This record gives sequence, structure tokens and C-alpha cells, in this order.
Amino acid sequence: MAGRRPSPAALLILLVAAAFAPISTAVRPVSDAHRSAAAELFAPSADGSFGDLERTYEAVRTFQILGLEKYKSETGKACKFAAEKLASPTSSAAKDLFHAARISGALGCSVDAGVYDGVVARLKAVIKDTNSLLEFYYSVGGLLSIKEQGHNVVLSDAESTFHAIKALSQSDGRWRYDTDSAESSTFAAGIALEALAGVVSLADAEVDPSMVGVVKNDIVKLFDTIKSYDDGTFYFDEKHVDATEYKGPITTSASVVRGVTSFATVASGKLNIPGEKILGLAKFFLGIGLPGSAKDCFNQIESLSFLENNRVFIPLILSLPSKVFSLTSKDQLKVEVTTVFRSAAPPLKVNLVQVLGSDSKVITSENKELQFDLDNNVHYLDIAPLKIDVGKYSLVFEISLQEPEHETVYSTGGRNTENVFITGLIKVDKAEIGISDNDAGTMESVQKLDLLKDTKVSLSANHLQKLRLSFQLTTPLGHTFKPHQVFLKLKHESNVEHLFVVPGSARQFKLVLDFLGLVEKFYYLSGRYDLELAVGDAAMENSFLRPLGHLELDLPEAPEKAPKPPAQAVDPFSKFGPKAEISHIFRAPEKRPPKELSLAFTGLTLLPFIGFLIGLMRLGVNLKNFPSLPGPAAFASLFHSGIGAVLLLYVLFWLKLDLFTTLKYLGFLGIFLVFVGHRTLSYLSSVSTKQKTA
Amino acid sequence: MATPRHLLLLLALALAPLLAVAAAEGAAEEGPRGRRLLVLLDDLAVRSSHSAFFGSLQARGFDLDFRLADDPKLSLHRYGQYLYDGLVLFAPSTPRFGGSVDQNAVLEFIDAGHDMILAADSSASDLIRGIATECGVDFDEDPEAMVVDHINYAVTDVDGDHTLIAGDDLIQSDVILGSKKIEAPVLFRGIGHAVNPSNNLVLKVLSASPSAYSANPKTKLASPPSLTGSAISLVSVMQARNNARVLVSGSLDLFSNRFLKSGVQKAGSKKRYERAGNEQFVTETSKWVFHERGHLKAVNVKHHKVGETNEPGMYRINDDLEYSVEIYEWSGTSWKPYVADDVQLQFFMMSPYVLKTMSTDKKGLYSISFKVPDVYGVFQFKVEYQRLGYTGLSFTKQIPVRPYRHNEYERFITSAYPYYTASFSSMGAFFIFSFVYLYHK
Repeated sequence: MAGRRPSPAALLILLVAAAFAPISTAVRPVSDAHRSAAAELFAPSADGSFGDLERTYEAVRTFQILGLEKYKSETGKACKFAAEKLASPTSSAAKDLFHAARISGALGCSVDAGVYDGVVARLKAVIKDTNSLLEFYYSVGGLLSIKEQGHNVVLSDAESTFHAIKALSQSDGRWRYDTDSAESSTFAAGIALEALAGVVSLADAEVDPSMVGVVKNDIVKLFDTIKSYDDGTFYFDEKHVDATEYKGPITTSASVVRGVTSFATVASGKLNIPGEKILGLAKFFLGIGLPGSAKDCFNQIESLSFLENNRVFIPLILSLPSKVFSLTSKDQLKVEVTTVFRSAAPPLKVNLVQVLGSDSKVITSENKELQFDLDNNVHYLDIAPLKIDVGKYSLVFEISLQEPEHETVYSTGGRNTENVFITGLIKVDKAEIGISDNDAGTMESVQKLDLLKDTKVSLSANHLQKLRLSFQLTTPLGHTFKPHQVFLKLKHESNVEHLFVVPGSARQFKLVLDFLGLVEKFYYLSGRYDLELAVGDAAMENSFLRPLGHLELDLPEAPEKAPKPPAQAVDPFSKFGPKAEISHIFRAPEKRPPKELSLAFTGLTLLPFIGFLIGLMRLGVNLKNFPSLPGPAAFASLFHSGIGAVLLLYVLFWLKLDLFTTLKYLGFLGIFLVFVGHRTLSYLSSVSTKQKTA
Repeated sequence: MATPRHLLLLLALALAPLLAVAAAEGAAEEGPRGRRLLVLLDDLAVRSSHSAFFGSLQARGFDLDFRLADDPKLSLHRYGQYLYDGLVLFAPSTPRFGGSVDQNAVLEFIDAGHDMILAADSSASDLIRGIATECGVDFDEDPEAMVVDHINYAVTDVDGDHTLIAGDDLIQSDVILGSKKIEAPVLFRGIGHAVNPSNNLVLKVLSASPSAYSANPKTKLASPPSLTGSAISLVSVMQARNNARVLVSGSLDLFSNRFLKSGVQKAGSKKRYERAGNEQFVTETSKWVFHERGHLKAVNVKHHKVGETNEPGMYRINDDLEYSVEIYEWSGTSWKPYVADDVQLQFFMMSPYVLKTMSTDKKGLYSISFKVPDVYGVFQFKVEYQRLGYTGLSFTKQIPVRPYRHNEYERFITSAYPYYTASFSSMGAFFIFSFVYLYHK
């Protein structure tokens, strides 16, 4: 971790804080936000359970520390769950018994003494046999929890257990998990210390003070490996980050805090740990803010509860309810000094010893004592008499405990630096805008502007003229104010934008745009430009973005090699969406005469045929020449029926047949016709020859 | 004895496919994307500080693999197979990745159709900026710059430099941000970026307000900042042509528990929200990025002549035909019918001859009927469906169209009756005349 980036807490802190030399922290004591976060993270599942034993304990313990009463309703279920585990002879794992006993302890469940006797015997058996740190931890912890519930538990061979656990310690204050493992860990150190503290309180006789002294020494060594950020936050983390076994700084630090504070409670005498490291640990846990996971939440809240009341040093947190002070509403500088759980601190004085400007320049180093408001437990000071103008400042506070004996109990961290913002309303006046000619420099059309409300000036200029804009900004104390953001934006109709920083001098802000030098930058785009002035600063309460009006600019034609304006982003919605529908235009059918006309002409075409028939009648047609002999008569009939068949074929061709079938039938009929036609015609010609010769 | 046993075996073999089909229907439906995500961090503490976001991913069934970005064993693929289906890159400051992963490996991963969430902050390294640039997003080049907004900032007690932006200029898209409107502003603290105007695959999801600018809040401004106003994008998304989706955020804190759980009050507004819009924003956008929403599939493409059911191999000009397709959207757990009224079909040969919006039964079935144009050739049924936030649908089906056959033309045309009667009457006259000519005496 050391070489990597800071933890999230510090990361956020770093982001929040400006780059002042002493980086301020966003450390605030535990608040209601934590309670609602905890209630959310440990929300019981549908059947009212919190999950496995460990998680149930974490939930119950977190609610107990935070005093969340509404979860008392869930206790019956959790008690039953724990009692089942304790009573069941099969769940002999020390871990389960440990968690179950602690759940009962935290909730005050009533468990039969007989059940506890059995559990105590089992746990004692585990202690005898094991050489694993975790087993020691679970069984000692389980016994201690049962003892705290009023059951009489005595560890007779406390001395040897103490030695067995101590045997796993390493020279650098860290511990191994068991005698076989070579790896040592900081997390294990915390567990070991807690187990040792448990052994000491369970012992029937006092444990050898020299051994306790050795462990105290170990603790000091452990604190030498503590890591820190440069804002006074301290935390523990494993030396070797193994991604699988790695527990993260929160769990590791929580383990150490539990172990050290438990040990400090049972050990006689004071541990030799600097108060600032304890304060730094408290700041680390508070700096997490609202934890994201149930595990982190439990570790954070439980560690803080150990720090809240411990025998090493009780950290006192100096925090500002607000870091932004408005001169307009005459805010008071308020400082809270509380313990991590927001309980009142012992009598103490808070002094404002120094005020540093944004460039670390000392503004004032007059020592001012803050008034104490007993009702709200807040130290306060009026800002107005400090004569501080708007801006960013670092305030240096000094906490001094009033009673000297508290010095060894509480850790205040001495000087605390906090970054604050003083904001106020900035007066904007003498605003003018106008166009001037290049040579004369005389303003031709000067217009006064009221920048407190929207204005709509309309100006027009050509490339030989200049645009002038000027205004003044003054702070509530009458100084010239130079905001961070003073932009004049010119926006062309085609969305091409040009931004100018309005330079500020000692008296006023003045911008002169000489269009002659800007034609290239403006891409020779003539037309309407909208003017917009943006003035803003962190210390300015009335930051504004105001449209000023528009400017008709007449620029020369672009030469050929002039740069083209950049492409503008198109609206993403225009790229999507349905396309216009396309329907096919079909070829129009050919024009036809009306039906009646066609039918009339059909009738007309029949007229010659009728005329032909009538003519034949008139002529008195006879068929006397038809052969009378049966043979030729048969051939003649066949010949004519053949012709009739061909004509009928033509009708059929029109009605339904296609060309190929028609030709096929016509072929057969043709051959037949040639044959019978030849016979018929030759007979007829022979008859007529006979007649002629006769 | 042998025969009945063989019969049983045959029966079992015959039934096996049926059983397999039944089993497949019983199992959960297969989504368009796998559920293995690689989370690259530059600090393992981010795992706990952003645990609410990771928790929401895990609750939705994603399998998260947390790795340090400089883990020497890091690898995106093994034996030619990708080990992950998506990437969460929460390692803004990492100068180079460990193992075999580098900028190109990440880009190839996206080119292979995988998704990514990238979050940067003011410590963004060149590597992260490079990846973002390749995705069409250009972060402000000034390494000290942050987005500052003196008008639309979030009011907090501890922070006065107006870099905590309360962003509410969200893209109007239900598919990206979910159908429930995000009421509360989204907290943002980080660096701004611009989307490349020539890249039409990138969309601004969360834009800055017109009064914002990107600059170093600690130093005086000498020259105008390169990014100002609503041109600044705070969060952008990119959907590549292969439907890989990328979300780029200029703020890692946007995803943090702190921002997800904190309240928000926008400066100048009386209304205080109990919760910032971040939780909804990151949940909904991550659903979109990992294809739990807005992924379409088209099945059962059918076409046939009106009144028939079989799909012909060819149409004749002027045929009336019906075309139908079913479109479904992946909802994260199942394929739900996709309901829209703008799915269009093209009947296409070199250019669309017919382009019509299909009608829908609101249950995923889209259908249309139209007359085949009187132009013959090889046509295509073509559906090109590109909508904001949805994966693109593009599928075609080729179909030839033939002209009329010789006997399919009209036979009895009234206006031709005079010609017909003329020829038939002359034929009749010929028949009669043949008798008269041969046998008259």
C-alpha cells in the first residue's frame, strides 16, 4: 500500500482539500447519517435473519453501539439462532460458539447455565489442544463473552495459554497465525492482543507482570509500523499485500485498535503510545465517511467505540460544521470539539491562532479565543471583527485542555488547521460596452450596462472597429475583487464560439477586442454574434452568466487560404430516427378506348360478313356440285370439316391454347387437310374436265 | 431379447433431441453478453470505497474479478479466448498495466465486442487518456484542470471551491438512463472532456451547464480554458459499430459510496434531495453498458405472398407479399418483446424501391404487406434499424423478382374485339365461301 495511492478516505480528503500546505480533512464525528447507513447495510433479509452467525453478530453489535432501538424487535430471532448454535453439540467449531456467545452477550439473551457449562468445557478443551492463533482467539473470546454475561468462568492455566499465544509473536510486533506458518501479519497482531487481553481477564490469578510488560513493548513496536498520510491520518496495513489473504487497511486497523484498546484496559499502567497516533487512527476511521459494505461499517463503528473510551488516549475531534462562511448572512465561525461519537469533551479552550491566505501568507496571527456555547456544545467566533475579506483561508486552531490531568487521558492533536471559504456578495458596477473607431479611439456608442439583470444591447461593427467592455468588481470590504472566471463569450449563428478572458487591472476589468487582428481567428464569419459575460468565483455568492445582447459584425470576405471553421457537433438525435418512406411508382396502364366504342366497332366489323351472307342469298347459291358418290362425298365432308377444325383451332388459340400446342395440332390437321384436300380437289377437277370434254 | 432392447435404444435416440430442447427451454435464457467482469483498480481500497456500485453489479449476477492494474499476472485472454466479458477500469492514475495488458490489448478487447466502463479523475495518466481518446473522448489536456461551475455547484458544508458539480443536463434517452426519470442532480467531481464532433458513435450522457469551465481552480487563468460551457461532457458513452459499449466518466468519485449515499442540494435551489442521482445514474448506465438493456435481436424473418404461407423462391412483379419479423430486447433476465413504431423495411436493389414502416402487434411482431415493384431483378429485404442507445439491427434476405411469363398477360381486351371479330368473321366467310366456290353450279 505504501507506494500506491492513498486510501479512499484520504483520496476524497485530498480532493476536497485545496493544495494548502497543511491539508485539511473532512473528518466529522459519527452522525445520524451513519445510523441510517448502518440500518441500510445490515437490513435483515425477508425472513428476519441477518445471515450467518458472524454477520448477525456484526449487525447486532453495530446496532447496539449506534443505539438503533428499532432493531430490538429482531433480537428474539437472533437470540434463538444463537441459542440453537450454543446448545447443538455438533457445532463444536470454536468460531461458531464464539460468535453465538457474543450475540447472546450483545442482546442479553437468556441462556441456560447448563448450556454455557457445556460450551465452556468445549472451549477450554480447544484452548488446551490448539496451537493456532485463530482458535485461541475464538475460544478465549467466547469464554470472555460468557463471563461478561455473569457466568462464572475461570481459566485455570491462564499463564500457559498466555505463553502459547505470546510464542507466536514476531520481533517487529506482528504475529503469526500458527506455529507452522512463516508469514506474520498485522491483522493477526490485533487478534493476538485481544486474545491476550481476554486471557488476562479470565485468569484466576494475576498474570506475570513481566510478560505483560513484554507485550506492551510489542505493542509499541507494532505502532512503529503504522502508516500515515500527510494530513495526520494514521492506519495499519499489511506489509505484504497478498491479493488473496489481503484484508485491507480498514479491517487491519480495526483489528489492531480492538486488540490494543482491550489490552490497555486489562494491563496495569499506561501504554507508551503517542496520542497523535490514536487521534490519527480515529481520523482514519471517521475519514471513511459512510462505509459501503456491512463489514466496513461494523469495523468502523466498533473501532470507534473502542477509541471512544479507552485507557490509552481518548481522541478529541475538532470539526467545523460548515467550512463555508458567508459575510452576507454574517455567519459565525463555529467549531465543535467532541469525541468520535459526538459526546461532549472535557472543559477546554479553543483558540484561533493564525489565519493564512490562499498563498500561505499570514493574514493575521492575533490569538483569539472562541466563545463556548454550552447548550449546543459549540465554540464560536464572529467573523466580522476579524476583518477578513472574501476568499480561501486556512485557520489554525489550538486546543488547550483546562485541567492538566486530562492531558494524559485525551488526545487533541494540538494545532489543527482547517481550510475555510469566506464568501460574500460582490458589487458589480460601472459596466460599459461600446464600439470605437480604430484610429481615434473615441467611443462612438457607449452603453451603460446593468449586469445585475439581463440586458439586450445591439451593436454593430466592422473589422476596422473595436469592441470595448469594462466593469468594476468590489468586495464587501471595498477591495477590488478578481474572480477566477471572467469570460466574454462571442457566439456566432453557426455555433462557432470564441472565448476571451477579461483582464483585470487594479481598478477595473477592461477588454478591448480589435477586430482587425481577430478576423482570422473569427474565420471571416460575418453576421450576428451573441455576447455572454460569465463572472464567477468560489468566494462570490452572486456569480452570474449573463447574455449582454448581440453584435452585428461585418468582416471582409474570406481569402482562399483562410482556415475553415471547426466542425460543430451535430445533434445525436438527428442521426437516428426513421427515414422518409418510399413507395414505388408503378408504370401507368396504357390508355384504352371506352368499352362502348369498342363494342360498337365490333358490331361494325360484323357488317361485311352479314353483307356477304345476304349477297350469297341474293345470288341464289346452291350446292349442286357436291359429289354424289359416297367416296368423294365423304372426302369432301372431311375436307370441309378439316377446314372447320383449323378455324376452330384458331378460336381455341385465342381462348386458351398457346402457340406451341396450336402449332402441334395445326401440323396434324394440315397433313390431313393436304391429303383429303388433294383427293377432293382432284375429283372435282376430273369431274369438270369430263363435263368439258363431254 | 436383443430386439426389444435395440428398439428401446432407438427410441431413446429418437427422443434425445426432443428432451434436449425441453431442457434448454427450462433453463434460464441466455443473454447477449457473459457475466465475467474484470475490475482494474490502482488501489484495492477503491473496492471498499466504491462497494455499493460493485455490490449492485454483483447483485445483478455479474462475476467480478478485482485486480490491481499493475498486477504482473494480468491477462485479458488465454489460449485465444477472452477471460472476461467486460472491463471496469477504475485505475485512473496507473501509468501502465501489468502483465500482457497494454493500451492496445484494451482496445482489441473492445474491438472484439466487449464492454468497458472507464473512470478517470484529476490524476488521470497518459495511458487512461490514450484509451479514452481512442474511444472518441478527449480529456482536458491540462493535468491540473478540473470542471468548475460557480453557478450549478452542489452546496456542501465542507467544500467551497465549486468543483463538486450538481449535473442535471442528462441525455433524453430511456434506453441509456432507464425509464424512470433521474430527479436528483448527479454529483460529479473530476475532469471534463470533449467528444470528437466527427465521431458520431459517441454521445454525451451528462453534460456540464453553460456556466461551467475546465481549469485549474487554484491558479489564475491567463488564457481562456480550452473547454467551456455545455461543450464539456462529464460522462459520455460510445457504442461501436460492433455494438461494444464504452462509458467514460471524468470522475471516479461519481461511482463512490460517498456520492451514491450523500444528499444533494444545487446552489440557488431551495430543494434538497435526500439522495443524489448518482446511484440511479450509475446503476442504469452500467445496465446499458453491460447490455442488460437496449440489446435487440431479430428472429423469425418470414415473407410470403398474400394468402399463402410458404416462402417462395422468387416473386413476380406486381405480386402482393407479406413480410414479418420478430424483434426482442434483452431485459437483463429474459428476452422481452421490443415495442416501437419506427421499424422500417426496405425492398432494395441498388437503392430502396420500397421503404415502409412496419406495423406492430406490440408483442414483438413487426409485419408489412406491399406490392412488388414492376421492375425485375435481384432484390433484398433489408432492415437497417439504428436507434439511439440500441444495438444496431441489420439483416437482409435476397429474393429474385421475375417479369410476367408470355401467357400471364391479359387475353381478352375489349378494345381489341373489333380485330378479333374482323378476323373470325373473315374466317367464317372463308369457310362458307369454300363451299360456294367448290359446289355452286
